[in-house]
Amino acid sequence: MAINQPSENLPLADVLRAANGLVTAGLIGDWALGGALAAIYYVEPFTTYDADIFFIPKDRGLTAGIPAIYAHLQAQGWQVEGEHLLIHGFPVQFLAATGLTQEAVREAKRIDYEGVPAKVFRAEHIVAIAASVGRAKDKARIEQMLQQADLDKTRLEKILQRHKIRMP
Amino acid sequence: MKLEMRRKLASEPFAEKIRKVAQLIQLAKTFPSRASRPPASRAAR
Repeated sequence: MAINQPSENLPLADVLRAANGLVTAGLIGDWALGGALAAIYYVEPFTTYDADIFFIPKDRGLTAGIPAIYAHLQAQGWQVEGEHLLIHGFPVQFLAATGLTQEAVREAKRIDYEGVPAKVFRAEHIVAIAASVGRAKDKARIEQMLQQADLDKTRLEKILQRHKIRMP
Repeated sequence: MKLEMRRKLASEPFAEKIRKVAQLIQLAKTFPSRASRPPASRAAR
């Protein structure tokens, strides 16, 4: 199926493969799946309309190499819609990792998704990031993670202390 | 939904959960007003 053709399936394997391709092309350093899809790795499935890929920039300039990432993926058939890149009609955001999110990328859990090697934020980092953002939906995510995910409380405490974050 | 059921869903393989997310997105597109209503207000009807 052409990359710009909408699909009823969520093209996560294609997204992860593309992120690995960006590493091979030298456009990003390490990366990991974050956001709602990372939370779904640990909790019940829920509706989400995009994928967040956090990456450690190779380009230390202000743009963090995002224009080159867009150009690379557009050349492969991805479409641009606002701040998202679309693959099979599914929006993906590539976000430069800094501070807490950079730590989350570096310490992310290695997984294999349908034969594609990938990394996903650890549950403790998902909770810490949600606590640091603090919107209503982040508080709901924290509650969901506390109820359903197998959290390492010691690891979470250390992350919160290191980044001076308070749980809501 | 009961917490036990939620935990059971949470423990399913990631690929299976992603398939369910795709189904939820399709449902939301088919029934936009119903799917976007929070569970509490549905229960209150």
